[in-house]
This record gives sequence, C-alpha cells and structure tokens, in this order.
Amino acid sequence: MEKISRYFLVFIAILTLAIVLPKLYWMAFEKPIRKPFVLFSCMNNDFMIHRIAEGNRVDTKGNKYTLEEYEQKLPMMFVQQLLVSGLLPDTIKGIGLDMHDISKAKSFFRLKANEIDAPVPDLYPMFESKSGRASLEMPDDFFRITWRIDFIDASTNKVLEDKSQMFSGALFHKGFAFPVKQIAGLPTTRKSCDEGYLILDSKDQLFHVKMIKGKPFVMKVNIPEGLKFTHINCVDFKNKSYYAYLFSEKNEIYILTQDDYQLVKWPIEGYNPKNCDLKIYGDLFNYNVIIEAEDHIKVFALDTEYKIVDTYSESWPVKAERTEGKVFASIFPAQLSMTSDKSKFIRFYLALTIGFSWVFLNLLLLAIHFIFLYRRKVNLKKHIADLCIIAITGIFGFIAIHFFQNKFFE
Amino acid sequence: MWKSIIYKEWLKIRWFLIGFTALGILGVGYLFLTVQHGFTFSGGKNYWYSILFMGYQFFNPIKYAPLAGGLAIAVAQYFPETVNKRIKLTFHLPLGENKVLLMMHAFGAGSLLFSYLLIFGVFAGFSIFYFPVQMITDSIISIVPWFLAGFVAYFLVALVVLEPVWKFRFYYLLVGGFFVTIYLQSPDTAAFGPANTGLFILTATLSIALLFSAYRFRKGEM
Repeated sequence: MEKISRYFLVFIAILTLAIVLPKLYWMAFEKPIRKPFVLFSCMNNDFMIHRIAEGNRVDTKGNKYTLEEYEQKLPMMFVQQLLVSGLLPDTIKGIGLDMHDISKAKSFFRLKANEIDAPVPDLYPMFESKSGRASLEMPDDFFRITWRIDFIDASTNKVLEDKSQMFSGALFHKGFAFPVKQIAGLPTTRKSCDEGYLILDSKDQLFHVKMIKGKPFVMKVNIPEGLKFTHINCVDFKNKSYYAYLFSEKNEIYILTQDDYQLVKWPIEGYNPKNCDLKIYGDLFNYNVIIEAEDHIKVFALDTEYKIVDTYSESWPVKAERTEGKVFASIFPAQLSMTSDKSKFIRFYLALTIGFSWVFLNLLLLAIHFIFLYRRKVNLKKHIADLCIIAITGIFGFIAIHFFQNKFFE
Repeated sequence: MWKSIIYKEWLKIRWFLIGFTALGILGVGYLFLTVQHGFTFSGGKNYWYSILFMGYQFFNPIKYAPLAGGLAIAVAQYFPETVNKRIKLTFHLPLGENKVLLMMHAFGAGSLLFSYLLIFGVFAGFSIFYFPVQMITDSIISIVPWFLAGFVAYFLVALVVLEPVWKFRFYYLLVGGFFVTIYLQSPDTAAFGPANTGLFILTATLSIALLFSAYRFRKGEM
C-alpha cells in the first residue's frame, strides 16, 4: 500500500509540475505576437495593413502611409476623425456620403473560439417584442426548454403554467422537437428592438421564436437538406439586414435575412470556430471578414451583395517555432493546463511538445538518476519503474521522484 | 480496540468538527441572507439576470470554507500525533499499522464528509426556494471542486504532518499547495463540468497519501 501511495503521489506531483513549470516558463519568456490589423480600403481597392508592433501602416504593394493618410484610406472606419479634420470626402465611388447612411451601414461582430466552447445559461428572458414602449423592459419570468417550454417567475420561483402551455403548444404545432441544441438571442434590454430567439431543436430544425403582445410567434426556417448548424450568434445591426450569423458543421458562415428568412452563405473559407477568432466589420461599401488563427490571418473583403472583392492572408511563426518555443521544447515533453484560450471550460488540456528535442534532457536526467542510485548502491532492478517515469516524463518525473523518494527497498 | 481508536480520534477533532460545521451552516445562512436581500432590493428578475448573464456567483463567499475545514480537521487530528511522536504508541498496538492509520484517516475523512454534506444540504435546501433546478445544478458544478479541495487539503496535511524530515515536508507543501489551486480556479459558472470527474479521481488517489509519510515515519527516516 505504501508503494501504491507513493506512485499516486508521484503522479500527482508530475501532473502539478506539468502545469506549474511550463506556466512559469512562459510567464518569464513569452513574447507577444502582435497581429496586423488589416482592412480593405474602399478608396484604393487594396488592403491597408497596420503593423502595430512596428508602428507602420502599409498597403499590399508596400507603400507606406502616415496616420492621416491611413485614416483617409479607411474613411468608413475613421469617419469621426475625418469629420473633425474636415477630410471626409463628399462622395466615394459615386455615392454621396450621408452620416445617417454611414451610421446605419456600420456594424461590428466578434466571435472568439472560447465563446463557442463555453457554459451557456439554461434560462432566458422572453421580451415583449411589441410593447409599444420606447425601451425594452426585463420580463418578470425566464424560460427554459426541456421536454416543453417552461416560464418561471423569478420572484416566486414558480412555473407559469398558462404561459408555458401556450408557448409549448405553439412550438408543438410548428413541429418543434424538444429539447433544444441551442438557444441564440440577445438577452439584454440594451438593443434597438427585440427579435426573440433563434432556436435549434433536437432534430437540427431552426425556429424563430418571440413574444408579440403576450402571444407566441413561432416561425420555422427552411434549411437546405443536410445543412446542420453548430452555432448561432444573433446580431442587432442598424440596417436590419439579417438576424444572425450561423455557423455550419462544415465551418461555413451563413446569415439569416430579416423578415424573409433566407439563408445566405458567405463565400468564406478557412474559418474553424474551434481555434480561430472571427471579426466582421461592415460598412457602406464592404464587409471585412477577418479570421485570426494562432499562426495566420485571413481577410475577405466582400461587397454589399456578399461577393468576394479581394482576399489577403499572412502567416507568422507560431510560438513553438520561435526561439523561446524551441528552448521550451528541449526542456518540457508536454504542457498541461486547466484553462485554454479556446474554451471557457475547465479541463485537463494536455499539449504534447512537437518534436523530440526534449529526449536529450530526459536521457540526461535519466543518467543523473542512474548515477545517484548507483552511488547509493541500491538494487537497480527495484528502481526500474522510477527510471521509466523519468525517461517518459523528463524533468517533471525527475523532480517528482526526488520529492517522493523510493526508499522502500533499502 | 477499534471503538477506542475511533473514540480517540473523535476526542481530537470533535470541537473543530462541530465548530467548522456550525460556522459552515451559519456561513451558508449568511449567504442566503444576502440572496434574500438581493431579491428584496433588486427584484428576483434582476437577481436571476445577474447570475445568468452577468457572471455573478452568489455562492462565491463560501469558496475557501471547505478548504479551511479540511485544514482544520487534519491539523486537529494529526498534529497531536506528532507531538513527542505519540503516533508511535498507535503503531505498537496489536493491529496492522496501515490498518490503524487507514481507520483513523477514514474516520477523519468520513467526519469531514458528514460535515460537508450537512453544509451542502443546507445550501441545496435554501437554493430550492430561490432558484430553478438548472441554476442550482450549475451552482453545484461550480462548488463541488471547492469541497474536493477540502478533502485534498485534509489528505495532504496528513501527509505533511506525518513526514519526519522537514526538507521533504517543504517539498510536499510545495507540490500540494500548487496542486490544490487546480480546484480553486475562478472560471464561469458551471465551467468545471468537464473536469469534475477527473478531479474526483485525483482526490480519491490522495486518500492513501499519508501511508507514504507514515511509512517513512515508522522506519525512522532522517
């Protein structure tokens, strides 16, 4: 039993060290990777690249720009500054610039990988979509969807049976298959108006559900056969062109147009929600779809008909390819972490070191431990397990073995 | 003989156990007093909203309570055994050394579990009044690692206290101190869901950790 308890302790120590030592290493030696900020210019039909680390602004041909010139090339992004400077042009591409139109067309959307793989609430407020009031009001009850939809009064914690039955009936009537895979909406009063929720049911059917004058509004959205959505993000843009961005299991990006419920696929490739961040800047002339991964950036400039105008991509060495990463790889055979920037869940995130440069240190530590045992004149056969642990886990195992020493056989 | 050993353990930990349990229950009572206050002043809908969408964790004030309980019970149970090496008397009893130790340990861990269950029960009981089952489940997923951390602290303090060599006590403290922080991260509510099973298994493996240092103690490791 003592031997088993020791091996358990060695295991716990290895696990702890595999979390702590790499973390300390990166805290000491990690250097930030400053990703370029890239936007399509409607003025010269080229991408403008702001390299924050170097402090320069260039286009894809290598022409350099001052801050003022850069802002003038991106008038939709820096409209306020250009207004102050008096440099906002009257027309662009023959279209007269009107502040109301500019404001209406401007949109920004951001989705990080860790927002997709994250705990989600089980209850949501169903706002009154046509209250006749200037601002939205938080309802007294919240809904959950299990084998039906329940509305629960927050102050009494009691199910509102009549309302629950009314909404459940409306959903059943439209062919809703309980329970749900995702409830997507904007559960806040800080939005221009309420459009309820887009709900994916257990059969991957898509429904638009909201409350109008206290009554349920349920609309089933026609989805092409075989198309399955894995994630939906509702938006509240001033131009009211679409309800949401929808991400398919093939990593395609769709929008759901407002009122006519058409699914429009955007011609974007290379977006993986598991390890990429997505930013979408919309304006009067273009949509800039920016995909940021650990080692590259891809930018798609779309026109207002969602057709590709131009694309830009750039890559850089990942952490492991840089000097500090190579040193890390020669010390640590793996890294364990309880958190990840790709998820909000706590898990045991194990990342094995790429390559085998850590083998040399493992062998060195193995030799040191071997000499240590030899000098103590112990029976080496009884330390084979320890030697194997060091050979595999390297520095983690070496420290663990020496913290929890094997003296059972002496 | 077994009854006498259990009685001895009970004498050592009883006031700490009763005190911790009472404080724990009072702490949970205070917690729900703040919930009641929040409901009264902010309204139920706003209180729920802050929990569901603004990351408010009403249960956060009890985060370190189980850890404190585990530490207190372990110190109360094992520290007296190291004064003048009294535990040697236990090892001289006509019983298996490991069996006696495991009995002591099981009693301590069982007492701690009983105390935790009482506190947990009060927490769950109050929760039912204010929150639907989904919100309670998310809260429980978040607080389970804190209670496991209490057991980890109990097991590791036993390991450290019984270790005869100060240098190794420091090493164990170092590993244990970092290890317990795994259980005490501050993520979103219910984020511990995928990790809880693994954490439970790790906690269980530590339950026999004291056998290692007790062995070193018995063999007179210097």
